[in-house]
Amino acid sequence: MATAEWSVKLQARGGSRVKDFLNANLINILAAFLFLLLAFFLLYPIIAVLLKSVQGPSGFTLEYYRIFFSTDYYFQSLYNTLLLGAINTVVCVVIGFCLAYMTTRGPWLLRKPLKIIALIPLIAPPYLFALSLIILFGRNGLVTRAFDLPWQLYGFTGVVISQSLAFIPLAFMMIENTLMSLNPNLEESAYDMGATEATILRTITIPLLAPGLLKASLLIFVMTIAEFGNAAILGGRTPFLAPDTYTVITGESDFNMGSVLSVVLIAPCIVIFFVHNYLLEGKKFTTIGGKPVASEPRKITPLVLVPFVIITTVAAGAIFVCFGVVFVASFYKILGVTHNAVLSNYLDFTSNHAIYNSIRVSFMAAVIGATLGVLIAYVIVRGKFFGRSFIEMVSLSGFALPGTVLGIGYLLAFSAPPFKLTGGITILALNCVFRFIAVGVEAGISKLHQIHIEIEEASADLGASFLTTFYKIVLPIMFPAFIAGFVYTFMTAIVSLSAVVFLVSPGFDLASVKIFDAAVYGEIGIASATTMKLVLIVMICMRVLDFITKKTRIGSSMKKSAAV
Amino acid sequence: MNRKPIAFIVAVIFSLVLAGTVLAEDINAYMGTSPDNNAKIAKFIKDKTGITVNQTFQSFGEIEARAKAEAPNFNADMIVGCGSPLAFMAKKNGWAEPYVSPAWKGVQEVYLDPQGYWYNMSNFSFVLVGNKDRLAKTGYSMPKSWKDLLDSKWKGEILMPSPLSSGTANMMRFSWLALYGDDEGWKFLEALDKNIAYYTRSGNAPTDLVGRGEFTLGITSDENVKKRIDDGYPLIWSIPEEGTGYDGTFCLIFKGTKKLDACKKVIDVLGTQEFSELMAGIGYLTPRPAPNALYGTTPPKYIKLDLGQAAEDRPKNNDIWKQKFRTDFK
Repeated sequence: MATAEWSVKLQARGGSRVKDFLNANLINILAAFLFLLLAFFLLYPIIAVLLKSVQGPSGFTLEYYRIFFSTDYYFQSLYNTLLLGAINTVVCVVIGFCLAYMTTRGPWLLRKPLKIIALIPLIAPPYLFALSLIILFGRNGLVTRAFDLPWQLYGFTGVVISQSLAFIPLAFMMIENTLMSLNPNLEESAYDMGATEATILRTITIPLLAPGLLKASLLIFVMTIAEFGNAAILGGRTPFLAPDTYTVITGESDFNMGSVLSVVLIAPCIVIFFVHNYLLEGKKFTTIGGKPVASEPRKITPLVLVPFVIITTVAAGAIFVCFGVVFVASFYKILGVTHNAVLSNYLDFTSNHAIYNSIRVSFMAAVIGATLGVLIAYVIVRGKFFGRSFIEMVSLSGFALPGTVLGIGYLLAFSAPPFKLTGGITILALNCVFRFIAVGVEAGISKLHQIHIEIEEASADLGASFLTTFYKIVLPIMFPAFIAGFVYTFMTAIVSLSAVVFLVSPGFDLASVKIFDAAVYGEIGIASATTMKLVLIVMICMRVLDFITKKTRIGSSMKKSAAV
Repeated sequence: MNRKPIAFIVAVIFSLVLAGTVLAEDINAYMGTSPDNNAKIAKFIKDKTGITVNQTFQSFGEIEARAKAEAPNFNADMIVGCGSPLAFMAKKNGWAEPYVSPAWKGVQEVYLDPQGYWYNMSNFSFVLVGNKDRLAKTGYSMPKSWKDLLDSKWKGEILMPSPLSSGTANMMRFSWLALYGDDEGWKFLEALDKNIAYYTRSGNAPTDLVGRGEFTLGITSDENVKKRIDDGYPLIWSIPEEGTGYDGTFCLIFKGTKKLDACKKVIDVLGTQEFSELMAGIGYLTPRPAPNALYGTTPPKYIKLDLGQAAEDRPKNNDIWKQKFRTDFK
């Protein structure tokens, strides 16, 4: 990819006719190139899944769909999955909103601790909450035993609780970013004119936040129904589609039925994706690329404050306790069974290579994904060619793609020559790039909408070539979008299991898969210790990244562009 | 000016990222025993032959799915540890490279294919585990016969893996079907289903959940039982009077590997007395006799099995299973 751009640059140094032609058409060439990438790495795997679902031993068949729709079990599984998705989305978005409101509008005292508690588990694989819940609230859990409680963790309730806890951090991160990029002046002037907190919330904050909330809902819904770790560990006899898909593929190696389940899993996501697009039609919004503005804490009326404090305390407390259990468990052979603290879990180095791979894959995916995302956003907004909206739709559809689908799709599409990619690290990185590309694209689009095209035109009129304009004007503007795409891809790629579990191969193991295996095998100490190592390394990475963005000229020009 | 340090940092990160491959004799293998045991086996191979085995832990089912999806362009050079269905399938479909290893001379026929398409490095079985604390609290004793599990006092207290996802559970199913015959066998499974809390995904999961005291009884792979008791779980294990079933942990070389010689060396080393001792030390039953950590010197009583037939019947039995046990939900 980089070489292609290079050759374009080299050609640009040739005769001036070529130069003019390129100046006029470079954006189209770029667009064509990007579209080819999207088609190959995003559309083709999905089509491979679709084809597999209707391809029987003797050609086209709808038999597998007939089995799906005529079996009660699958219907129940679908119903549970959708219900889980809906409940989780509501819970995560409400709690995420309360947390975000408190960390951006609430008292200073609460902001930092709440934020830290809410964000740290973001790096821990979601299914760790299932383990914490078993240790605490299982039939023989510490809490269950202490208070002699008769509840039943294994089933729908357990999955809902663990899955909600696991995705609150993501909801919080997205909503907080939107809240921070909302200009607080509106709210403050309303407050100064005597509006109550509840009125401000109802008439200003939430309506302005609606696009961000919707986006967060969509992402949470898709992630919830696709990540199967919690459901696999705590589901009991309750069927869910994602773990079923995993079982059908890995247990029965039935790729046809697995593909059908995947297609069925996509369907509701696509529907919600279109509803969401329809609701947001024509509305301008920023998600996680906005420039942060801290707002002064106001006096929040008890009517609002009390429920918010209760919700955030309970949620943050639950996250804190669950994560704390993981931390403590990392120092015990088996927490709750053996009683002497050991360091052996940390000294187990078999997972180190997997952690290294995870960082490598996530870093590669984040760099490539954020770059592509920004470029795609550019051609969508500034290009004038036919099919722009199609490219936009395809690149943003990543929001609506459950991980399992792209995992199976990649396995089906890239297992055999001429496109054989499985069995290496590239396929893992590519998979993460295209699964999470939508965030970079969207952040880029919203950034570009904020900047008038006249600046670029002025640059061109003054004689700057397309590349100069791109380098001097567009890139600095897009940098925050690049960072947004980078951070999101890096953070989600490092913990995500649902797609890569199908793609890891000997020597190219990933930490999230290792932790899942250790967890499934009951090696809770090792799973926890590996997680803690991962969290530590990711935090260091994020610090370094923060440092680089702050110290670079790109960073300072970003501030300048923000001032424009 | 101030770009230099950044350029340096970026360069360092990139070189770290790119420095992935190490030059040494290594092979890629799918390995299906537990992560712990995989590591032990890989270390043994490394110590004896100098060959590094790149492996990722996968269940038998995952390895089978992978092999099916990848055939005939496999992403690994060999398998060290998979279930019988894949081993037989690989021979039938020509996925395996035959190699008659001199190191395996004198081993019984259940442990190797005469033409060298596959080798069985160890047998494993399933056992009944009970949580001592829970049993003490209720005053119940460990069941003596598999049929004792049907008693309604165990309702919601027994765990077993699901045959749809676990090779171990598939072994349980074909063993009981062989023990009781098809009709009686399915009736047994149906009655047992009423007492099963739920079916776990992994064949070892019941050991841990019962050890943790979440449930009273578990029907589980014998693979981890010894280790878990050593770890401190209050577990008691037994094999009911009818005996238990068995399945192998198979090894084979994938056709098309570029590292055939290294793979042959690995197969050779797996046939040694020393390797049998290592596996027996974990609790596996081995091609060459060695003192067993779990069973001692007397091997458990076995139900008479035909592994080839069992592999062939699996899809059919999976369908029956789905029809019977996927109807009632809560």
